[in-house]
Amino acid sequence: MSSGYKPDILWSPHHADRYVICDTELSLYRIGPAGSPETKAGTLPLSEETAATLLAINSDTPYMKCVAWYPKHEPECLLAVGQANGRVVLTSLGQSHNSKCKELVGKEFVPKHARQCNTLAWNPVDSNWLAAGLDKHRADFSVLIWDISSKFSPESVPAEKARLSGDVDSGLLVTKPLYELGQNDACLSLCWLPRDHQKLLLAGMHRNLAIFDLRNTSQKTFVNTKAIQGVTVDPHFPDRVASFFEGQVAIWDLRKFEKPVFTLTEQPKPLTKVAWCPTRMGLLATLTRDSNIIRLYDMQHTPMPFGDEVEPTIIERSVQPCSESIISSFAWHPSAQNRMVVVSPNRVMNDFTVFERISLAWSSTTSLMWACGRHLYECTEDGGQGAAAADKDIATKMRERAQSHYGHDTVQVWRNHVLAGGDDPQLRSLWYTLHFMKQYTENLEQKQQSNKQSLIYSGIKNIVKSSSGTTETRRCWSGSDRQTDVPRYHSEERSLALQLCGWISRGPDIDVEPFLKSLEQEGEWERAAAVALFNLDIRRAIQILNKGASAEKGDLNLNVVAMALSGYTDEKNSLWREMCSSLRLQLKKAHLCIMFAFLTSEPGAFDAVLYESRVAVRDRVAFACMFLNDTQLPRYIDKLTYEMKEAGNLEGILLTGLTKDGVDLMESYVDRTGDVQTASFCMLKGSPGEVLKDPRVQCWIENYRNLLDAWRFWHKRAEFDIHRSKLDPSSKPLPQVFVSCNFCGKSISYSCSAIPHQGRGFSQYGVSGSPTKSKVTSCPGCRKPLPRCALCLMNMGTPVSSCPGTGKADEKADLTRDKKLAQFNNWFTWCHNCRHGGHAGHMLSWFRDHSECPVSACTCKCMQLDTTGNLVPSDSA
Amino acid sequence: MELHILEHSLKVASIAKEGIQICTHGLIKLAFLPSKTRCKFFSLTETPEDYTIIVDEDGFKELPESEYLSVADATWLALNVVSGGGNAASSQPIGVTKIAKSVIAPLADHNISVFMLSTYQTDFILVRERDLPMVMHTLSSEFTLLRVVNGETVAANSTGVTNGFVKPKLVPRPVIHPLSSPSNMFCVTSLDPDTLPSVATLLMDVMFYSGGAKETGGQSEDSGHIRFFSFSLIEGYISLVMDEQTTRRFPNNVLFTSASGELWKMVRIGGQPLGFDECGIVAQISEPLATADIPAYYISTFKFDHALVPEENIQSVIGALRTNESTGQ
Repeated sequence: MSSGYKPDILWSPHHADRYVICDTELSLYRIGPAGSPETKAGTLPLSEETAATLLAINSDTPYMKCVAWYPKHEPECLLAVGQANGRVVLTSLGQSHNSKCKELVGKEFVPKHARQCNTLAWNPVDSNWLAAGLDKHRADFSVLIWDISSKFSPESVPAEKARLSGDVDSGLLVTKPLYELGQNDACLSLCWLPRDHQKLLLAGMHRNLAIFDLRNTSQKTFVNTKAIQGVTVDPHFPDRVASFFEGQVAIWDLRKFEKPVFTLTEQPKPLTKVAWCPTRMGLLATLTRDSNIIRLYDMQHTPMPFGDEVEPTIIERSVQPCSESIISSFAWHPSAQNRMVVVSPNRVMNDFTVFERISLAWSSTTSLMWACGRHLYECTEDGGQGAAAADKDIATKMRERAQSHYGHDTVQVWRNHVLAGGDDPQLRSLWYTLHFMKQYTENLEQKQQSNKQSLIYSGIKNIVKSSSGTTETRRCWSGSDRQTDVPRYHSEERSLALQLCGWISRGPDIDVEPFLKSLEQEGEWERAAAVALFNLDIRRAIQILNKGASAEKGDLNLNVVAMALSGYTDEKNSLWREMCSSLRLQLKKAHLCIMFAFLTSEPGAFDAVLYESRVAVRDRVAFACMFLNDTQLPRYIDKLTYEMKEAGNLEGILLTGLTKDGVDLMESYVDRTGDVQTASFCMLKGSPGEVLKDPRVQCWIENYRNLLDAWRFWHKRAEFDIHRSKLDPSSKPLPQVFVSCNFCGKSISYSCSAIPHQGRGFSQYGVSGSPTKSKVTSCPGCRKPLPRCALCLMNMGTPVSSCPGTGKADEKADLTRDKKLAQFNNWFTWCHNCRHGGHAGHMLSWFRDHSECPVSACTCKCMQLDTTGNLVPSDSA
Repeated sequence: MELHILEHSLKVASIAKEGIQICTHGLIKLAFLPSKTRCKFFSLTETPEDYTIIVDEDGFKELPESEYLSVADATWLALNVVSGGGNAASSQPIGVTKIAKSVIAPLADHNISVFMLSTYQTDFILVRERDLPMVMHTLSSEFTLLRVVNGETVAANSTGVTNGFVKPKLVPRPVIHPLSSPSNMFCVTSLDPDTLPSVATLLMDVMFYSGGAKETGGQSEDSGHIRFFSFSLIEGYISLVMDEQTTRRFPNNVLFTSASGELWKMVRIGGQPLGFDECGIVAQISEPLATADIPAYYISTFKFDHALVPEENIQSVIGALRTNESTGQ
């Protein structure tokens, strides 16, 4: 009770740098930059940048309950003060009293019966009107509207009756209000409605909000509610009103004034202030008692609900303008965005700008947009040519790949990695794997051995598992009689695996010579040498190394390696063996390293080769298929498969094939890279597969399609869909467009078509094959004519006459494309608004130059209504 | 019109003048430290005979048991007439007069005893809790009945029992108790609860030490002066009734005064203590006033009733009531 007055704060409505703090007295402050030369010793710092200077103090009006600032420019600093006894006093601060102000200052408006004045509001239009809301009196009105320009009314206060008031200067007293409203009730808060300045919204004690129209005060709209404190109109939305009660804020729509549109989450402590932000749409700030935070409710994303059921979403935040102290009151700055000054109970002030929520969006083309306040920033990838391909964002890569028809080469499947840029070893491995799988499947088909076919796409892991009848051979080093002590394993499955690895091309014979040749051609000397060595042909290996050394830009060190290799001895304790096994670790090239590892390791213990991660998986797997026995091999393959799956390494597809394991692997690859494009194309190859039914695969495919749409690669997307429907017939879309007859309502494509569910129904109408063959200009059901094209006035179904403007030379140039275009030209199209339309081709050419409907007297702006009509595909072929 | 049945369960008690000191602790707490109690309804009226206390159950716990404290055996409920937010014609007579015909007379017709408490802000009609069904039945035709439950106003359903209720006998109501009119003039006022601490000692002095201090300079009750002071704190609103001399002891601008500075004279009803069972007393007084369109306040105490009427109307009021008195006899 001791400090009953908590400071409140009020911004000047017209001077963005002035505000008033009111507690027991009124203090006018000017806010300015801190540390400026004009800063005097008396300034109070408000923030790092701003400080306030005290301009004037007014302590003429004791027992202040509420204050309202005159809304007009002139007089500038006129304040109405509502007092505890219900009187409203006009006062001024720091003004060189001009004549108009002088006349008004000191004027008092006295209610018939004294009681507390709870609230004041100036009429925003007729600024002479001041509404005062008072506590209740049993025989008096609670809302009095005063006219500040009214003169002393002689009949109101007989002199001898004024004995209790104690006022001598009764010349400034006004006792006759312009209007009186709300009998037998207290008015806790009120505001004028901005839509109609004659209307006033009152909140009374007896739990109601009421709207009075001053032109007819006996009529009112009212609603019962507890939320009767602090009614305030959204400055940006004159029908939206907030009011509160204890800890709860209700938001009202005056157009539907039966119940709150919604209520905000209740606060445990009673609210003391609720204020709409004047500079930002739909931002409401609330303050509770003894709190050091201000809660903000962002309603700008709240569309006014059309039905009662719609529960709008509100973003709630809280800010803490000054960490230590509790907040007594706050006020939004009238013009600076999101800025407010808060004041603590001991009058410490703080200038504070609520940081705007940042909203951020990625575009589908690697640029990033973020918005903060009224600023919009766009960040794009540094598109310098120097940017290495590996550093490019996956979205950029996918875009480029989509443009180069990546994934669409179904004949030479391996070429897809070239289309992808040819610089990604994993993609290279993946497409080669898929290529070999396809090749082998085709071989089998020729031989009618369909029993193995299912195995091919299930990966080496499953192939070696089914292995049976392994034979073991000990071969001689080719070109010498010396027996090797390394057993080599053979089986049908192992040779199949070797084929998939690409070491051998076809047939039962293990002949790596073509493979070696191709490696030599590509200059992969070390790899070729290693493959030769693993096929127990040291001589060939040495020969390859020599060739490599002598080749253009060849590494002369290869000769040294060849020399070292030629000294091979199978003696267990030889110096050669000892040195090679230790020095090989210093070799930089992985293939050279494993060559010596192979030669120096004990039979059956090839870990140094098998776990050399720098060597391609396919080479290691091929090696394993040759030298690991039936127990070691599956264990090794399983382990490697697990590693590949964990790492999301596409080389592992060789092992997993296009199985569920493969999808798992692809999942971790997509998780790592985001490359849904490769995932989609790869999994589509696994045709007749359950893999396609896997929800993850469907998700990648859908996302890739969406991505293409988002890039406006509509043609690419269509190509992808065609490609997809070829490989996965179940994905063929159902017909989406039907044309039904206006008269009989039957679909005109059904009745004439032998195949009832044919999506491309329009091929019947004009051009399926020859344009004259099947002409349908009337409904096949009822024989009524089809509507006429608004441009050529022919019945629909009549083929479009040759497109005017197309040069004859062009026509021949791209016959297929023209034909497709011609088919579409015959299709029906119409405006959904005015329902006029005709041949698609005619319409297209009409709207190239016009925005209005071609039908005379129809003013429909068809083209502008079509939001997608102006979009251009960015991949226009 | 709405009739709100408030949720306070009220006790009406009387403290003998000589026993006031044992109750002062509780009374000061109830009057000046509202945050220390859960009491929402407190009224203290000093008359020459005693102090009358009207207090809700939470507040009643603050009072000690004592031989000086006598309590009316019933629990009372407060009724409050609200114009329902409606904006009635502006020239309504104020106070009890307004509700005389609509509430008080019908209740008197049904033999329901009422206890009145007028304040600066409104009028409370206290009825016994056990009479409530009858009250609701009586008033349901005229009013929308609303009951306050846990702070929420809900529609109160009339029990609809009509059987066994006595048909009202519509007979003229003569004034049967003797009337007196003291010479001092009274002021009905209020003050801002925030300023209450600043005048608390003064109020305590007025409330409890009036007997000793003869500040009015030797004027005795024989000369027509009456000692009468009422203080109430109901739902946060303060209401005061005191005579004109007492108001002068308050600092300027503390008391709420009407612009016209109106003053009131008292009509005191009863020669013998009236008791709580007799009904129709308020009606006897208020009906003639309503007929004459004279505004009035009405404050019942443990022993007698008091009506306040504008000073300029006192003669006509006395006249009117005397006429009624004579016709009654």
